[in-house]
Amino acid sequence: MTVVRRAQPWLSTAARLLLGGVLVVAGALKLPDPAEAVRAVRAYRLLPEGLVGPVAFGLPVVEVAVGLALLAGVFLRTAALAAAVLMAVFTAAVASAWARGLQIDCGCFGGGGEVAAGETGYPAEVARDVALLLVALALARWPRSRLALGGPAAGVREPARV
Amino acid sequence: MSDPRRTSARRRIAERRAAEAAARAAALRRRRTVVGGVVAAVLVLVAVVVVVVVQTQRTQTSPAAAVPAGTTDGGTAVALGPDDAPVTVDVYEDPLCPYCARIEAAAGDTLEQLAADGAVQVRYRTIAFLDRASTDDYSTRALNAAGVVVDAAGVEAWLRFHDALFAEQPAEGGPGLDDDRLVELAAQAGATGAEVERGIRDLRFADWTEQVTDAASRAGVTGTPTVLVDGEPLPAEELTAEGVRAAVEGAAP
Repeated sequence: MTVVRRAQPWLSTAARLLLGGVLVVAGALKLPDPAEAVRAVRAYRLLPEGLVGPVAFGLPVVEVAVGLALLAGVFLRTAALAAAVLMAVFTAAVASAWARGLQIDCGCFGGGGEVAAGETGYPAEVARDVALLLVALALARWPRSRLALGGPAAGVREPARV
Repeated sequence: MSDPRRTSARRRIAERRAAEAAARAAALRRRRTVVGGVVAAVLVLVAVVVVVVVQTQRTQTSPAAAVPAGTTDGGTAVALGPDDAPVTVDVYEDPLCPYCARIEAAAGDTLEQLAADGAVQVRYRTIAFLDRASTDDYSTRALNAAGVVVDAAGVEAWLRFHDALFAEQPAEGGPGLDDDRLVELAAQAGATGAEVERGIRDLRFADWTEQVTDAASRAGVTGTPTVLVDGEPLPAEELTAEGVRAAVEGAAP
């Protein structure tokens, strides 16, 4: 038990870096080519045309913001929960595209959602998103971590009673 | 010596003060966290709004953007074969898509023959969504050059240029054909002159390439090649000369 307790802050740090790194990279890759981002969101055929643009342009900013908070270690629990919500939404969207038999790429790391004929990668995409969802939930449950700018610092006990 | 009652009273006072100080510190921390959280939330919101506005402007193409002469369907297609042909075939392809080059090699002549016979109208819809698969935005440059060719020299020249693009298709991941080569191919296809060369080098139809690519996305096309026979997508395994011919015959009334 003590081993786990001592390792937990470092595990949480690893989770922060993994999740935060993935989110920052994924968000940043969607920014250089906005027309591509629009096509990727439209390819899911889930949103009315009026919402496609705002989602395609706004979502990467949210990803980057949540990712930076996780990397820096500020507002950790909130950021972890936000990451979990993002991953749940992504998983649901990809699963629905899969279930409807759409031939698209998830556009997770940029790209316009296009795939060459018959080259969809749904199982891997869903597996990755579910794994990251679990990491985010674990981080929300155990947010105390090393190398964090804010939040409950690891190793420091709850405010000592004088 | 000391009065035990006074000692315990002092201790109680000291404890109370310490508790009050701790409570104040905790309240201060909470207030700071709340203020920090509100500031962070506002910053993220502002960033979202700014980026949405900027990106919306970046994707805006002029509604008055030049559309190449010789195209049909609002500039989104180059049509082979008569308008009143009994069957319509829409072919979506990207100049850099390797599978498109294979389809062109396998079924391109068949489609041209069917169009020449008047059995179908083939509407070629070349789009540019593989720009990131080359190091020099080849899809957009090649599509723009095709626009310049059809604008200057008509559909026949466009078809020769289109076939040459697929015959000389560069590999994904590297540079595409350079502008010099595109100008040469255009000239070989029948589009010559300083105006053509300028159009190719200066991306005269850049906005148009974005518009036709966006139009394909709106039409639900998420991959190339996509071949529609009277609106129905042809399965990948039927993208052969025989497959296309059979699908056209099956669709003919």
